[in-house]
Order: sequence, then structure tokens, then C-alpha cells
Amino acid sequence: MPEKLKVLVLDDEPIVGKRLKPALSKIGCEVEVFEEPKSALTRIEEKEFDIVVTDIRMDEIDGMEVLDYVAKRWPRTKVVMITGYAMMALAREAMEKGAFDFIAKPFKPDDLRRVIAKAAKALGRPIDFDTDSK
Amino acid sequence: MSSIIIASDSPETGRRIADETAKFLGYTYMDPEDVLSAVATKRNLDKDKLKKVLDTLPSSFGRTSRVWRQWLAFIQEATLGRLMEDQMVCHGLAAHLYVMGVSHILKVRIITSEMERLQILASQRDISADKAKKIMKRMEKQRHQWCLQAFQMDETDPSRYDLVISLNQITAKEAVKTIAGVIKYKKFKPMTYSIKCLEDLELESRVRASIIKDHPEASVTARDKTITVKVKTLKRERKKKTAAIKELVGGIDGVDYVEVHFINDIVRQAAESFR
Amino acid sequence: MTGADLDNTDGSGSQRILVGRYRQMDAVNKAREALLGRREFSLRLQISLGFFLVFLIAVAIGTALLVTIYQIENKLIFLEIVNDYVIEIQQARRFEKNFFLYGTNLSDALENVYTAKDILERNANELIKIQGKDVQDTILTNISHYEEILERLASLEEAKDKTLDYLIQKKEMELGLRDQGQKMISYAQDMMASERDSVTRVILKARSIHIFSFICLLIFMALNAYLLGSQILGHIRRFADHSKRIAMGDFTPIMPSRRFRNEFTDLALAINYMMQELESRETVLIQSHKMRAVGTLTAGIAHELNNPLNNITLTAHMLLEDFDNLSVDERKEMMSDVVSEADRAKDIIRNLLDFARESSSQMETLDLEKLLKDTIHLASNQIKLTRMKIRFQTVGHLCHIHGDGQQLRQVFLNLILNAIDASPNEGEIQILLLPADEPGYAAVKVIDFGSGIPDHVLGSIFDPFFTTKSKGKGTGLGLSVSQGIIAKHGGRIQVSSTEGKGTTFTVILPVTPIAMKIDNE
Repeated sequence: MPEKLKVLVLDDEPIVGKRLKPALSKIGCEVEVFEEPKSALTRIEEKEFDIVVTDIRMDEIDGMEVLDYVAKRWPRTKVVMITGYAMMALAREAMEKGAFDFIAKPFKPDDLRRVIAKAAKALGRPIDFDTDSK
Repeated sequence: MSSIIIASDSPETGRRIADETAKFLGYTYMDPEDVLSAVATKRNLDKDKLKKVLDTLPSSFGRTSRVWRQWLAFIQEATLGRLMEDQMVCHGLAAHLYVMGVSHILKVRIITSEMERLQILASQRDISADKAKKIMKRMEKQRHQWCLQAFQMDETDPSRYDLVISLNQITAKEAVKTIAGVIKYKKFKPMTYSIKCLEDLELESRVRASIIKDHPEASVTARDKTITVKVKTLKRERKKKTAAIKELVGGIDGVDYVEVHFINDIVRQAAESFR
Repeated sequence: MTGADLDNTDGSGSQRILVGRYRQMDAVNKAREALLGRREFSLRLQISLGFFLVFLIAVAIGTALLVTIYQIENKLIFLEIVNDYVIEIQQARRFEKNFFLYGTNLSDALENVYTAKDILERNANELIKIQGKDVQDTILTNISHYEEILERLASLEEAKDKTLDYLIQKKEMELGLRDQGQKMISYAQDMMASERDSVTRVILKARSIHIFSFICLLIFMALNAYLLGSQILGHIRRFADHSKRIAMGDFTPIMPSRRFRNEFTDLALAINYMMQELESRETVLIQSHKMRAVGTLTAGIAHELNNPLNNITLTAHMLLEDFDNLSVDERKEMMSDVVSEADRAKDIIRNLLDFARESSSQMETLDLEKLLKDTIHLASNQIKLTRMKIRFQTVGHLCHIHGDGQQLRQVFLNLILNAIDASPNEGEIQILLLPADEPGYAAVKVIDFGSGIPDHVLGSIFDPFFTTKSKGKGTGLGLSVSQGIIAKHGGRIQVSSTEGKGTTFTVILPVTPIAMKIDNE
């Protein structure tokens, strides 16, 4: 049994974390959920996650700042942005800052799972999820 | 990976740059001829006539403007279909006017010198420089009209592009290198969101192409496999129209759900109430 | 939004306009009735009346003049007659004296007496008219008496019977004649003197009448000119005030201010009608401007909706996936999540729809702080979209104002959206509610930290159709409409800007004391 993918999910919408935790655990991820960007950053500071999933528009700290922080602290970590405010300019900005992917809300659990699988593959630790199925 | 759409005030130059960029990057050059042939075969149309849609105004097209719009929708459908493939370089299909908001597609406009365009025109048609100038002015005006009538847009507005290169000072080769450099920026990397945007556009164009014959006035939006069709209609025709559209659209590949919205056809309503 | 919803919104929008229009029409009709209900007393009538009175006075003066001249003329005629008479009598007396002194004949004297009598008889009518029958009779008796004595004397002389008796008789008659003659002359002279006096009196009276009536005329004309002038000037001043008020956006119809109706009433009616048209047009303008703001907000709404939608999608999918493995409680929890998120989505849309379709606008007592919070909430999605931060602070205690909540919300929304446009992405907007410098007023400051407004532009930002936004992005009517609305509420909008540092818009509104519930609709 290979080591589980360590995933951090940050969204100020509590339901997102509540649902994503079981959804991602099912495909072999070890998920930590945060609603507060600050506590998430504290956690990121002390632990290297494989994948960080973050909302962009949050009070206090913006998802882009989280992305910057992760990119600086753990260059290897893949960051996936999820946002309800998806626009071309925002998407390009996130990609330029080094995001692994950018997903517009609303998305299905499988949409994110597919992205996680892709990221796992990019990390060299493929997981058992059919990335091509739609 | 990413794709490139090139537009130019000179079709010849645009095609050359597109072709060279594709070769330089190892991308696929999307030959307009191929796309048009495919449309002509699929829809059983005359290819030369079809080609005319892209540079003739509906008034001088020879068929009704309804047909003009239909054929344009067919070309749009085919072009977007090809853009779904990766690493395409597209030119000459007016794609810069209907591919919007897709972050992994780089839109480039190449501006050439007026002198050069005049020379090309003069040598092509074997006419004097003066006459060429007059013809070119007329062509520019016509082109502007075409963009307005087809997509209500002004293609010369630089804010519609990510990159505008003037060949006045920069050579074609440098332009190709510049485009190749820019497309490597991370911001042009495809992502789930941008791919979805393109898919939506493509589905939209497919749905439109399939209903435009029966409902030329319908506007179509696709979002996440859900199709919204807006049509002008009379109240009593609503049921019939909804059924007809759902029948037409429901069978299209990739469509999950169809919704039909109505805009009251005030003009017809008024006309009929006077009968 | 579905087609049906759009229809509805438009419908209630126009309904609102109609409601506003009807209310305004009502007020105008009331004013019209009140204006037309006054008794008519037109300026034209007033002027004609003034002139007519002046004419009457002039006629009166003229008549008085004529009468006195006529009187004087009569008196002069009388004087002349009496004079002639006196001369004849004096002549007769001279002959009479000669007769007694030198024994000349009496026929000359008699001749004169006859002439005098003839004069009296010839002018009997005039004399009677002037002096009355009594005087005439007295004079006639006197002269007849004299004549009689004279005749007797003459006949006595004819007899040539120079007896003592004759002498005695002659002496007697001489005395009688003298006495009678003296009487006649003094009587006539008295009459003349009294007539002369009366002529002088009449002339004096005529003079004073003239002077007095001219003074009266002068006073009357001055009074008339003053009244007319002050009335017209008063009207003009009143209408100048009205036009200022209308320019400020107050479209209350003009009500009658005087007891009578005149040409200015017609002007008031015309202006009321104009205001009705202006108001209905302004209502349409305000409404269409609101719809523009709604249009801007829908972009933010569309994005904000994605959050509840995402929650519903994720929950529904997970429920579907794990249905068999979940406990009933877990399923219930997930379903209630779906329900609450659907409610949230509904709320997001309803907020905007309420703002868009709220049909009747009315004046009411409003909590300014709550109104501002509502407005910020309405714009919150737009703020999120642009990744801005908004800070709202209240200084001082609760502020209540009397106003139209719909329109005020629109004003503040417009200012906030402007501030968002002016700010750099991820910037900050501050909204402050504080007591204004002048007592009885509250100030709302909307502060952005954008590039500011250049000085040469600052003066014209409230002008209609002035815009700094690119073509198709702004109508240039936002601030002009806002200013109209605020002016209607008795307030004003101020702006201060430092280039490169930002702009502050300050809305100053009169505050209603909480205890006093104004309800004077």
C-alpha cells in the first residue's frame, strides 16, 4: 500500500470541506479541511501537502495569497484553485502564479477527483482513478 | 496544450505567419481549406460558395441572409470542433470573433504596412497603385461591415487581442518567435476551467448549427451540458416550439438538458391582433 | 432569470412609473382645481379698472371745473346786469338831482328808469334764477315805487301850479325820491358786493377743488402703480423661487397663494403641467438608471450563485454516490444542507429582484444605517467579484431620515459601484455614516482610494451626460440622477478628490428626530 496523498482543502464554505473530505478519501487521499485561511496557512507552514485545494475569494486572505505562499514554501506541492468567480483574467493570473489547475464552481466531485488524479500522476504517484472518463 | 488564433489585416500575411508559427512550435496548422471542405462535404454544399460567406456581406452574397447566417454557423461549428484538438494554430475562419473567454487560446493580431498590402493587391489583380488604393479602402469598409453584421464586433479594436504585432518594424520571423515565446507563458496553459469554457462554446455552436435552419432567430447558450435556447414566439406557439426544439437538440451528443425560454414576439403579436 | 421573470420585472417597473405618474397627476389635478377655484380677478381687469378710475376722477374734476366756470359765468352776467341797472338808476338820480337843483326836466330821469326797468324785465329770468323771486320782487317794487313817485312828480310839474301845496308836495316827493333812490342803489350795491364776494369764493373753491383733486389723483395713481407693481413683482419672485425649487428636483405642484385668480394662475397651471411631464420623465430616467445598476449587479449575482450551487452539486453527488453506506441521520443532514443552500440561492436572487422590481416608492421614516447596510449587501457580490474590501463605520448614534428608501438605495448603490469602478483591483472602499457639520444633518461618505478625479473634470461630474467611462459603459447620468434624488430629499452631494489618492463623495441629508414620526404624505 503506497503512502496516501496528503491533501488540504481550504474553502470558507463549510459544506465544500464536508463533502470533499469523503469524496477524496475514497480515492486514497488523506484530507485535512480548513475554513479559515489563516489556520490553513499555519498548517501548510508546518506540513508539506502533496495537493492544496483552495477557494480564491475569501474574507481576510485571498486564495491567490495562499497559492503564492504554497509555491514559495513547498514548490513541489500542486495547488488547485476552485472559485465561483471564474473569469478568464483570474484563471490566467492563477496559472501564471503556478497553479496546477483552475476549476470553476459549481463542479462535480468527479471533476475534482480527475484533477487530483492528474496531479498525482504529475507528482509521480498515480492513483487509481480513470482520468479520461467523463 | 494551448492554441493560437491569428487575425490579420492581410489574409496572405496572416496565413504565412500562422503556418510558420505552427511549424516553429510543432503545432498543427488548421488549414481553412480543410475546414471548409469538411463543412461542404458534411452539409452537401458548394465549397466555393461556402468560402464566399467569410468575405461577402449578406447583401451581395447571392442567397438570402438567412442562408448566409446558416452557413456561417456551419463554419463556426467546424472551426470550434477543430479547436478542441490540442495545439492548433487557426487563421482565416474569423475565430477571433467568436472564441471568447478561453484562457488557453492566445489571440494575436498581425498588422501589416499599408504599402505592402497595396503592393500585394496591385500585383494580384494587375492594376495601378491608385486603383489598388481605392479598392483597398472599399475592402476595408466592407470588412468592417462584415464583422458588424456577423458578430456585432469591431475586429480592429486592439483590446480584443492578447498580442498585437505590427510588421512595420518587426519581421515575420521575429513575430513568429514572439508568438512562440508568449504561448509558453504559464497563463496560457489549459486547465479544467478553460477546457470547459471551450467545450461550452463548441457545444453551443453545434446546437446552433442544428437548429438554425428551423429557428434562425434562436439564441443558444451552453453551460455545463445544459442548453438554453431563447426564441421569439407567440404565446400560443410556445408548446409546439418547445417540443420541436427539445426534439432537435435533445439528440445532440453532449447535451444533458435543454431549456427553452421565450421572448414575446411583440411585433408579430401586434400584427396579428390587427387582423 | 427566466424570460417570465424578466417580463415581470419590466412590468412592475413600468407599473411603478405609472403609480408615480398617477400620484403626480393627482397632485397636479388638485392644484389645478385649487387654482381654478379662485374667483377671477385678472391683471388685465385690475389695470383697466385702475385706468377707468383715473378716468372717472378726471371726469369728476373736469365736471367740477365746468360747474364752477358756469357758476362764475352766471355770477358775472348777474353782476353785469346789476351794474347796468345801477348805472341807469344812478343816471336817473343824477337827472333827478338836476331837476331839483336846476329845474331841468324829469323826462330824462324817467327814461333812465324805464331803461333800468327794462333791463330788469329783460333779464328777469336770469335774475330769478340767480337771486330768487324775492330779490327780484323787492327790486321791482323798489323801482316801481321810484317810478311812481317820479311820474307823480312829473305830472305835478306839468300842472305848473306853483302853490305851497305844490312845494310841500314837491318837497315830500323829493324826500321820498331820495330815500327810495338811496334804498335802490344801496340795495343793488349790496347785492353786487355780495355777488362779488360769492364769485371770489367760488373761484377760491374751484382752485382748492383742483388742487385737492390733483393730489387725490396723484395718490391714487401712485397707489395703483404700487399695488400693481408689487403684485406682478411678487408673482415673478414667487415663480423665480418655484423655478429654483424645480431645478433642485422638487416637483410639488404650485398651489394658489392669493385669493384671486389672474394671468399668473394660467402660468402656474402651465408650470404644473410641465412639472408633471418632467416628473414622469424623471421617473423613467431613474427607473432606467436603476435597471442599469441591476444589470451591473447581475454579473456579481451570477458568480455568487455559484457558491450555493456548488454546495448543492457536491452534496447531491455525494449523497447519490454513498447513499447505501450512509446512516439515515447523515442522509437527512445532507438533504437539509441542500435545502438550506437552495434557500440561500433564492435569497441572493431575491435581494436583487426586490431592488429591481420594488414597485411603489414612498416617503417614509428610514434608518439610514440599515439602509446603508442593505445597499452594501446588495453590492457585496460586485465587491467580491472585483476582490475589493468594503469597510462600513458609523459614528454617533442612530440616524433616521425621512425619504424614499428605493431611490436613496439607488443613490448609494450608484456611488458604491462608481467607487468600485474607480478603485484598483483588490482595493478598499470606506463608507462612513456620521453627523454632518451643520446640526440636523447626517453625512454619508463613500471613499475610494483610486486615481482620483482631475480638477478640471471635478466641476462637471454632476452634469448630465458627462462621463469618464468608455463609450457604452456609462451613460453619464448616474451622478446627475443621484443629485436630483438627493436634492428632492433636501440634501446635497459633495465631492472632493485628490489626484492619485482617491475620491470622497459626501451625501448630506436632513435627519428626522426619532421621537417625531413624520407622516405627512
